[in-house]
Amino acid sequence: MENIIHVEQLRKEFKSYSSRSGLKGAFRDLFTRNYKIMPAVNDISFQVQPGEMVGYIGENGAGKSTSIKMLTGILTPTSGMVSVNGMNPHKERERFVQTIGVVFGQRSQLWWDIAVQESFRLLKKVYNVSDQAYKDHMEHVIESLDIGPLLDKPVRKLSLGQRMRCELAAALLHNPTLLFLDEPTIGLDVLVKLKIRNFLKEMNERYNTTILLTTHDLSDIEALCDRVIMLDEGSVIYDGKLAQLRSNWGEGKQIQFQFADSNITELKLSMVCNELPVEWVQGNRNNIWIASVKNDESVISALIGKVVAAHKITDIKIQEITTEEIIRNIYEEGIVYG
Amino acid sequence: MRYISIFFQYVAQYMKTRLTYRVDMVIEIMSDLLFQAVNLVFILVVFSHTQFLSGWTRDEIIFIYGFFLVPYAIFGAFFNIWDFNERYIVKGELDRILTRPIHSLFQIILERMELESLFGVITGVAIMFYAGGRLDLTVSWYDPFIFVMMVLGGAAVYAGIFILLACISFWSDSRTSIMPMMYNIGNYGRYPVDIYNNVIRFVLTWILPFAFVGVYPSAYFLGREEWYNYAFLTPFVGIACLSISVVVWNIGVTKYRGAGN
Amino acid sequence: MAKYIEMIRIRFLMMLAYRTNYYSGILIYSINIGAYYFLWGAIYGGSESIEGISVTQMTTYVAVAWMARAFYFNNIDREIAQEIKEGKVAIEFIRPYNYLVMKTMQGLGEGLFRLLFFSVPGMIIVALVFPISFSASIETWGYFAIAIIFSFIINTQINILTGVLTFFLFNNDGLIRAKRVIIDLFSGLLLPISFYPGWAQELMNFLPFQAISYIPSMIFTDGFAGSEATQAILFQIIWALLLIIPIQLFWLFAKKRLVVQGG
Repeated sequence: MENIIHVEQLRKEFKSYSSRSGLKGAFRDLFTRNYKIMPAVNDISFQVQPGEMVGYIGENGAGKSTSIKMLTGILTPTSGMVSVNGMNPHKERERFVQTIGVVFGQRSQLWWDIAVQESFRLLKKVYNVSDQAYKDHMEHVIESLDIGPLLDKPVRKLSLGQRMRCELAAALLHNPTLLFLDEPTIGLDVLVKLKIRNFLKEMNERYNTTILLTTHDLSDIEALCDRVIMLDEGSVIYDGKLAQLRSNWGEGKQIQFQFADSNITELKLSMVCNELPVEWVQGNRNNIWIASVKNDESVISALIGKVVAAHKITDIKIQEITTEEIIRNIYEEGIVYG
Repeated sequence: MRYISIFFQYVAQYMKTRLTYRVDMVIEIMSDLLFQAVNLVFILVVFSHTQFLSGWTRDEIIFIYGFFLVPYAIFGAFFNIWDFNERYIVKGELDRILTRPIHSLFQIILERMELESLFGVITGVAIMFYAGGRLDLTVSWYDPFIFVMMVLGGAAVYAGIFILLACISFWSDSRTSIMPMMYNIGNYGRYPVDIYNNVIRFVLTWILPFAFVGVYPSAYFLGREEWYNYAFLTPFVGIACLSISVVVWNIGVTKYRGAGN
Repeated sequence: MAKYIEMIRIRFLMMLAYRTNYYSGILIYSINIGAYYFLWGAIYGGSESIEGISVTQMTTYVAVAWMARAFYFNNIDREIAQEIKEGKVAIEFIRPYNYLVMKTMQGLGEGLFRLLFFSVPGMIIVALVFPISFSASIETWGYFAIAIIFSFIINTQINILTGVLTFFLFNNDGLIRAKRVIIDLFSGLLLPISFYPGWAQELMNFLPFQAISYIPSMIFTDGFAGSEATQAILFQIIWALLLIIPIQLFWLFAKKRLVVQGG
């Protein structure tokens, strides 16, 4: 199938000034300035197929926002090729944005002072949506998002969760084939988050809408996306299935022991299970120790057996490593590709 | 065609919000009137000490001022984007603008319009009639058409200059206070340019062509034939200013860096 | 005290950072002074002096009025209004300083920057281009120094007053604009007060505005000397003290309102 997003060697550089320190330095800055060129996005390439839901993750400053802004036509790339919905976003901006929907969690698309439906009406005009198309599509959207009762209220009177649902409806007003969501669930409570996730899933199933999602909340990504693209310092460091990421990096298990004796030490523990591949870390109390081991039944059973035989315990937990921990590990270790 | 219908949609929306804050609107109109009065006071005070300004009489200067108010009102209603840098660049509102399928400048004009300013047209025309009456000016059948052309030309000059100033923000992300200060310079186009020396006259005619918003077009209605050439250039200078500014704007948008986040 | 001085320093540094502002400012002030120079030349026509002010004095008046404006002018009215609207003022209340003093210090930081890097070099350039007379008497310079300090104080007080009024009005933009226009006209920036008809001068004696521009500029051009100058400065002092009253009152009301409404 044709790629809906095709990015090749995409790069964006920013010129940044560094100011000299102190009064004298500031005075010198008035006449000559130090500046350097920093690549915010460093030659990235990837493709997205229609109907995919892709999680786009990275730390602050990893180049997420900058690359999303290039994909949506807001910023002009320094070099490289970008084609979205078969168009060059920046060159054919006005025609292009007609085919996408954008939600910036921290920036409102709606007009602050006027009722939500007035905003919708304005946007309907702006996107040139016919009455019939609006009716067919939006009635469903309004119902699924349960925003019918909010339509005659001005945006400034809505709660964050209510506003966010309206924002989402506004972004879908022209029934775009591709939806960019930048931190759509930031600051929302669990119920609203669930509602939004279900709605997005439904949109994806019903209209085959492609969704590119950036978020700090990995549970959004776990709930919605099969695929993740991970950025670090302007480069793609992982692009693949979320499940694969988990099995490559999250193959281990963690076993947490709470001992009756608080004088337990790492030395005592490693003496008990010296031939097993295990790493010990102390937990948040000094009688709690966490063992990280490979996801292997015989190792896990052997470890538990030996520890329990040697020391009295009051509690034991077996945990799988969370995606969040996996990602933190990847960033800390800085490993590229697994 | 689509742009026109969007324009009216925005105007309707604007009226609705404005009518909810009626007190604001009254204060706004009052402060406009005050602003217009201040300049009139200046002229009146000055002419209590002198008869002529380089051969121009009090009523002629007042007439020029009245004319100036008309294009200025149109500029104020639609192109007064002095807070562009702060609102759209620093706060990153331009991101939102750029995700919509309408020309970015047109959207910003729609969002920032202040239709109250159009009251200045009434003040301006009233002042022109007052001064024109005292000067015994006659009105031909074609004068209203020329007037409209001159006014549109003048408004386009103002619009062009301020859009160009707004464009600076695309290249330099620092705050600038050029905009407020430029309003002062705009005032100098209201006085006969022959009082200035050549450098300033050149600046006001060709660099920051504010003279085409006041003295040049008014010279036509005042029957000052020595300035007719300049007077009839007004619409062309207006078109040129506006076109240049739109071209620079389109280039500027590609240099937009986005708000830092 | 140290924190207020630190604030002045920070603002000073901030001003240095905005160099586009700096260059464009110099250009625009020169154009302003130049245009007014010619405008006044035309107004004088052939006559030697109007209302006891000679052409050279008038040119000096215009130049110094604009250069002094660079020092006393600031945007704290707009800043205060903005911070009130965005609800940031509530946070300022829990900080260990007086918000209004802090704002004044920010204004002073900006003013000092412009005075040193802008007005002084600007004045020298303007003096090379236009016929401007500097007073030889040390007394005049002394009086002028005192007078511009008070123009800063009074202008800032008026700005604070307009800014704080945002608490009581829904939208303060119109008022701020109106204030700016009134100050331009009644402070003597555009026209020396002595040019106005007698009744208007009488009226303006009961208003603080001429303390901002007219008084320092007249002192600088030797238009006021000796007892006239001391009287003018006394006028400034009285207004600086009088304006404290409404500011404190409004601020008190504003605080109460903030407590009740919760920002």
